[in-house]
Amino acid sequence: MSDLDRQIEQLKRCEPLKESEVKALCLKAIEILVEESNVQRVDAPVTICGDIHGQFYDMKELFKVGGDCPKTNYLFLGDFVDRGFYSVETFLLLLALKVRYPDRITLIRGNHESRQITQVYGFYDECLRKYGSVNVWRYCTDIFDYLSLSALIENKIFSVHGGLSPAISTLDQIRTIDRKQEVPHDGAMCDLLWSDPEDIVDGWGLSPRGAGFLFGGSVVSSFNHSNNIDYICRAHQLVMEGYKWMFNNQIVTVWSAPNYCYRCGNVAAILELDGNLNKQFRVFDAAPQESRGAPVKKPAPDYFL
Amino acid sequence: MASPAAVSDSHSNTVAVQATNDDASASKLSCVKKGYMKDDYIHLFVRRPVRRSPIINRGYFARWAAFRKLLYQFLDIDKKTDDGGPIKKQILSLGAGFDTTYFHLQDEGKAPYLYVEVDFKEVTSKKAALIETCSQLRSKIGETASISREKGEVFSDHYKLLPVDLRDTQKLSDIIALADMDTSLPTFIIAECVLIYLDPDSIRAVVGWANQTFTTAVFFLYEQINPDDAFGQQMIRNLESRGCALLGIYATPSLKAKEKLFLDQGWQRAVAWDMLRVYSEFVDAQERRRIERLELFDEFEEWYMMQEHYCVAYAINDAMGLYGDFGFSDDKSVPSSP
Repeated sequence: MSDLDRQIEQLKRCEPLKESEVKALCLKAIEILVEESNVQRVDAPVTICGDIHGQFYDMKELFKVGGDCPKTNYLFLGDFVDRGFYSVETFLLLLALKVRYPDRITLIRGNHESRQITQVYGFYDECLRKYGSVNVWRYCTDIFDYLSLSALIENKIFSVHGGLSPAISTLDQIRTIDRKQEVPHDGAMCDLLWSDPEDIVDGWGLSPRGAGFLFGGSVVSSFNHSNNIDYICRAHQLVMEGYKWMFNNQIVTVWSAPNYCYRCGNVAAILELDGNLNKQFRVFDAAPQESRGAPVKKPAPDYFL
Repeated sequence: MASPAAVSDSHSNTVAVQATNDDASASKLSCVKKGYMKDDYIHLFVRRPVRRSPIINRGYFARWAAFRKLLYQFLDIDKKTDDGGPIKKQILSLGAGFDTTYFHLQDEGKAPYLYVEVDFKEVTSKKAALIETCSQLRSKIGETASISREKGEVFSDHYKLLPVDLRDTQKLSDIIALADMDTSLPTFIIAECVLIYLDPDSIRAVVGWANQTFTTAVFFLYEQINPDDAFGQQMIRNLESRGCALLGIYATPSLKAKEKLFLDQGWQRAVAWDMLRVYSEFVDAQERRRIERLELFDEFEEWYMMQEHYCVAYAINDAMGLYGDFGFSDDKSVPSSP
C-alpha cells in the first residue's frame, strides 16, 4: 500500500495526518490544481455535492449514499471547512482523494476557503488546537488559492459555489480571472463565491452578506441563454430540504451538510447525474450518534441561554 | 442568564441548568470583547473566556438591546409622588444568574430604589462569594452590605440577592417580603430563559403570583418558541441532551400562546414578538448598523431561523396608569423583510 493510500485510510477513520504529511500532500495537490481551468471541465456521470463545513461523519454518510470515490465521480462545490468540528480531516480527506484520483473528484472553491473567513468561523482555531501551530492552516489556505472557481459539466451545467456576478456575462470572462490569490472583497471572483439568487430581486441587488450580490431570475435566464447552458448548480445557502430549484428550474441549490452546525435540523442532498445528464437527488440525514466514533465528544451547539 | 428550577425532573438537572448560566456569561463576555456591548463586570464572572461565533454574538446583542430598551423605558417613566418627589421603582430578576445589570445601572446613575435578584442557592452562593471578594462589585452595593456565602444572600440598602426555588410561590412571597419589596411600587420583573425550564403548572403559578402581587408592573420575558418545526425539534433535542429540557415550551409554543399565558393569569396587557421582528423593528437602527460592522457575518439562513425561535414578551399591570407609552412601538407599518 502506498503512503497516499495509507493516508486516505487513516483520514477515513477521522484521524488527522502529521504536519509533515500535510505539507507533502499539499505540494502534490498544487501540481494538480494549478493545471485546472477556472471553469473546470467535468464529464458525466458525476455526483454534485454542496457545503460540507467540517461535518466529517456526515460526509461519510454522503459517501455511503453516493458511493465511494473513485467508483463515483464527484464534484464538490466548496465550503469544506469551518463551523463543524472536523474541518481538518474533512478537507485533507478530500484533498488526498484529489491527489490520488485527480480525474474522479473535482473540488472548487467556496467562500469559506479563505484566510479571512477561516479565522472567524473555526478552521484556524481547529488547526491550532489539533497541531499546536498554524502551519497546517497555512498549507491548506495556500492550497485554497489554487482551487478552481467553477465547473462546467458536459458543456451544459454550470457549477459554482455562490452564483453570478454583474462583471461576468460569459464563461470566457471567468476563464481570464487570475484566481491564485486570497478571495478579494469585491469583483468577479468574489461574486462567484458569495452571491445568492433571490426571488424578490429583479436584476441585481445588494447582498446582506456584505460581499457578492443578489441576482434575480432574469439575470439567470440571460446568463444561461448566452452561454448555452441548461441550468446552474450552486450551493452556499442552507435549504432545509437539501435542494431547491428556483426561477423555473434554471438554477438549483444543493446543500450537503445535514443538521447544519448540529443545530438546524435540516436534511442534506447530493445531485447524481447519469451519462445522459438525467438528474436524481439523493436526500440523506445526519450520521447517527453511534456512528460518530467513540470516544467522540458529543457536539454541544450554542444557543442563547 | 438563566439558572432556573428543575432539580427533580429527570431530563433537567440543577447542575446542567446552572451550566446554562456559565454558558450565557461566557457568551456575553464574548460579545463584550468584540465590542457589541459594554459590560465592565461580566469578566469577573467568567472563568474560561471563549470566543463565540458571530451568530451567537449577534443574538446575545439583540436580546441585550431589546431588554435594555424596555428596561430604560420603565426607568425613565417620570412620575412624581404626592409630595413631589420622584416615584420609587424596583426590579425583580427571576433566575438572575450572573447578570450584571444592577452594576451598570449603578454606574449610569439609573439604578432603581431597589434591585432584587433571586436564583437557586447554588448560583446565589457563587454570586455572593464573587461580590464579597471583588472590590469592583462590592463597592457598588455599599460597604454596609451583609453577605453570606453559606446562605447565598446579599443584603444592602438598594440591592438584595436571595436564594429561592421558583416553583415555590409561597417562598417567593416570603422572599420579596424579606427583601423589603413594596408591592405597590412600579416593578420590572425579569425572566430571561428561566420559566421555559419549568413545568407548565409552575410557569402559570409564577406568572399568576406576579400578577396578584404587583399592581403596577412590567413582566419581561425572553425565551424559546416554535418547538414543532425541524429547527425547533433539533433545539429541544440538543438542550435536552445537555440536561436542560425546555419543559414549558409545548404549553406556550407560539407568540399568541405567550400572550395568552399572561392574560389568562390576569395581566391587563401582553405583547409577544419573535426576535427577528424585535431585531429589525425595535432595536435601534443605528446600533444595528454599528454592530453589523463588527464581524464578518455569513450565517444568514441560520440567523433567521434562530431568531424565529426566540421571543420577547412583556405583560403589563397598570394600576397607577404609568405605562401608556411603554413597549414596542405602536407603529403598525409593514415589518421590514429580513
